[in-house]
Amino acid sequence: MLYLLLKADRKTMKREHQETANHPLTGGGGGGGGEGCSSRSKTWKEDQGDGGMDELLEGLGYKVKSSDMADVAQKLEQLEMAIGTFQEGQISHLFCETVHYNPSDIYGWVDSMLSELNPSQTFDPNGSFYPIRNSILGQQPSMNSSARNSLIYDDNSEYDLSVIPGFALKMPSEWTFDLQREGTSKRMKHDAPQISTSPVNSAAKLRSLPEATRPLLMVDSEEAGVRLVHILMACAEAVQNEDLKLADALVMQIRLLAVSQAGAMRKVAIYFAEAIARRIHKIYPQQSSIDSFYSDTLQMHFYETCPYLQFAHFTANHAILEAFSDAPRVHVIDFSMSLGMQWPALMQALALRPGGPPAFRLTGIGPPQPDNTDALEQVGWKLAQLAGTIGVEFHYRGFVCDSLADLEPSMLDIRPSAMETLAVNSICELHRLLARQGAIDKVLSNLKVMKPKIVTIVEQEAKHNGPVFLDRFNEALHYYSTLFDSLDGCWLTQSNSQDLAMSEVYLGRQICNVVACEGPERVERHETLAQWRERMESSGFDPVHLGSNAFKQASMLLDIFSGGDGYRVEENNGCLMLGWHSRPLIATSAWRIASR
Amino acid sequence: MAETSNQNKEDTLFFICFDRQSATPKLCGLGLCSDEFWNGVFGASFLEYLKNRLLYMAGTDEVNFNESQRVVPLNTWILISYFKLAYKLLRCPDGTFDRHLAEFLDRKVPANANPVDGTFSFDIIIDQRTNLLIRIYRSAKAEEMQLPTIAELVKPLSSSFVPVILFFHGGSFVHSSADSAIYDTLCRRLVRICNAVVVSVDYRRAPESRYPCAYDDGWAALKWVSSRPWLQSKDSRVHIYLAGDSSGGNIVHNVALRAVDSDIDILGNILLNSMFGGQQRTESENRLDGKYFATLRDRDWYWRAFLPEGENRDHPACNPFGPRSESLKGVKFPKSLVVVAGLDLIQDWQLAYVEGLKKAGQNVKLLYLEQATIGFYLLPNNDHFYTVMDEINNFINSNYPKRQRSDQRLSYA
Repeated sequence: MLYLLLKADRKTMKREHQETANHPLTGGGGGGGGEGCSSRSKTWKEDQGDGGMDELLEGLGYKVKSSDMADVAQKLEQLEMAIGTFQEGQISHLFCETVHYNPSDIYGWVDSMLSELNPSQTFDPNGSFYPIRNSILGQQPSMNSSARNSLIYDDNSEYDLSVIPGFALKMPSEWTFDLQREGTSKRMKHDAPQISTSPVNSAAKLRSLPEATRPLLMVDSEEAGVRLVHILMACAEAVQNEDLKLADALVMQIRLLAVSQAGAMRKVAIYFAEAIARRIHKIYPQQSSIDSFYSDTLQMHFYETCPYLQFAHFTANHAILEAFSDAPRVHVIDFSMSLGMQWPALMQALALRPGGPPAFRLTGIGPPQPDNTDALEQVGWKLAQLAGTIGVEFHYRGFVCDSLADLEPSMLDIRPSAMETLAVNSICELHRLLARQGAIDKVLSNLKVMKPKIVTIVEQEAKHNGPVFLDRFNEALHYYSTLFDSLDGCWLTQSNSQDLAMSEVYLGRQICNVVACEGPERVERHETLAQWRERMESSGFDPVHLGSNAFKQASMLLDIFSGGDGYRVEENNGCLMLGWHSRPLIATSAWRIASR
Repeated sequence: MAETSNQNKEDTLFFICFDRQSATPKLCGLGLCSDEFWNGVFGASFLEYLKNRLLYMAGTDEVNFNESQRVVPLNTWILISYFKLAYKLLRCPDGTFDRHLAEFLDRKVPANANPVDGTFSFDIIIDQRTNLLIRIYRSAKAEEMQLPTIAELVKPLSSSFVPVILFFHGGSFVHSSADSAIYDTLCRRLVRICNAVVVSVDYRRAPESRYPCAYDDGWAALKWVSSRPWLQSKDSRVHIYLAGDSSGGNIVHNVALRAVDSDIDILGNILLNSMFGGQQRTESENRLDGKYFATLRDRDWYWRAFLPEGENRDHPACNPFGPRSESLKGVKFPKSLVVVAGLDLIQDWQLAYVEGLKKAGQNVKLLYLEQATIGFYLLPNNDHFYTVMDEINNFINSNYPKRQRSDQRLSYA
């Protein structure tokens, strides 16, 4: 039908803004024009080697290069004028299918918004633009034929996952006009360099305070709760100072006091006290092969009870699906196969792909099982059955190994990327490698040999791998207190108390490992997103951003999750985190091999 | 897959050109276009609307962009313009709000128990039923520079008099949170400048939670703060000041109102560009509509989202000295500092608020900043910022015998 566009006289605007760009106050340093700010404010660092971000905006979480400021201002004006022609109601309709990426990058945002309104405009390479985007302004019937042919549409709502039965998908809303969307989505190839992410993000990384941040969330409780924490800390300090007699005495006190407590604090105190007792008396929990089966079962209960693992699977699958796009043959290598709970949802989504599902190959990796039962194979069979019912060509292979570092890429039957698209997935598994010298580096370099299109990593958002015991204890106490608090909410709303009890045991085992063990035995070496980011980037990986569609759907998943009131999804430089209120607890990031 | 519409010979590419040279809109197209055709598609009224809109823009908006850019520093202009545009996407005319996208776009920062520039913060859920969270900001004393443990976070204040500022962030009752970066930054500045403890309240927001939820949450936070032994000054009382910007300023007034008949003593109210309104259109609203970032249309939307359904803007929550409000004469109300930005379109309502307090015999100081726009206090890159911070500092600390105040401007940022 019709295509409506408001264009400003670009030449005039450009000229005006070039003048402001050269103005001593507006150009270069982050001072800004207009009123007096130079004498008052501290000296702005004119030339910051890390990309020259406007410092003040950066302090508020927005990254705009000082040299881009005038440009950004101009584009904001353009955008305002462009959407100004539409009535209020039309605006949200215009952009309701838009996927936003990287909200810190104002330049990229306004650029992509402008491109949404005017798809014929050439894409600005400085924008942080991304694969799937919809143009919202209907057909352009008389565009020249080449433009028309480039419009391939895939409604990305069909990639929405049904993680939990009954999860209602949000369908695109009706248009008020009679505009029909032809679906004019241009696909940006993944090979296009994501210019916005390289210098911009690394600058922010240097500037932000990742290492020094200690997020702290408490639930207001009785005085005794605080006293309990106080004694726990004193006990840990005694252990740190190797005053084991004192520590032992304090453990007894904790146990006595905990009895009078209610709720999360009691359970947390008991687990931590037990862990300290084990440490003092050197009764380390066995990491035997019986463990892994039991672990899987506990993890399943945890999965049912609270949304952390579901969030992990959901967001990782989202990234994988986007990376797979319309590839005809795909292969997923799962470092954290366990009971394979992540894959039914992915397979269903693949089955619903327009144009039909790809051939799906899954390689599951897991630890050795007791009495030689091949749990991995059994999981594979179940998935194969599912694949049969939904019509997805499915191949499976299970791999047993003690450590991911023992794997060689040649074992995994990796096919050339032209033939098969590869995704590598790791849910709460990589941190174990930090217990052995060189293991993580080996695995990451193996990854590069495998040439995956995407690597999805989910890890606990915690600092449980510092060198000093007392600090680790402190961090773990806060982290698990928050986790238990979030589970507390579930007790009221869920009837399955066995699931909840098992979930607590699952977490209790982690606590025990963090506190009681040392050396290669201590495998729960959780590190924060910021730490993983640095490791991945210095190992030659670039981030792949998760966007507002993944965010929204994850949020909607939480909305329907009972007891879900306190859970919150947060966007962090293209990664998504799930937390309890303001405390993030788990983080999903996606990576690809850096194009150098 | 969409289907193509009837392929009419006249289905050509149309666009509206806005010619800056001649400052007139032109309807153009690749192919014929006639008014009849446009009428047939959009309807005559929409076509009229388009034309009027363009003429309006031709005449005024061009001037507006440059004008607003002249009165604020460029980074402030970018920040507030960005908010203005992004927020527009989130508001739907039926009153619904795209909360998920809003949360995705909002830049948040976690609490940080490690001191940064001498200030640390931590979060507490003070009401599990409503999930009410507050963020507390404190100064780290020299001896506390190693990581404070939980027990130390709630250690009693060491100085004789420490003001506790109960802060309500802005966002027109709908946007932002206590952990939004813009407000976390502002609260940290308040700690340093006023040598105070700041408690920021993460109140429930509209349209999901309408009046009076935000006030209820404010009241709950006030009660909580006033009952903490570790927040008391030497005289065994908690010295509480209420402060807020935009909707936060409105909450300040309404929480103070609720506290009037209680035994909770509020030592002062600080209102920054506070959000008030009324059914009638005032001169400033007409004059400044759309000129400096804010429009009447968006103000109306936010009131509709916050006030009970079916209510109008003379509801006392919106219009505290309007036709439906009760008098404050003879009421023991805290002294107030009211900051008004001269380029804020709702300033007439804010000035009416000041007048209303005066007429009721209450102690109020007006700080009118002629050239200030909304959001000027978000970045320390303009004179108004420093003026206001000084005023707030004096407002609070002039009550006390000489306290150590940071006078250096450098530490404000």
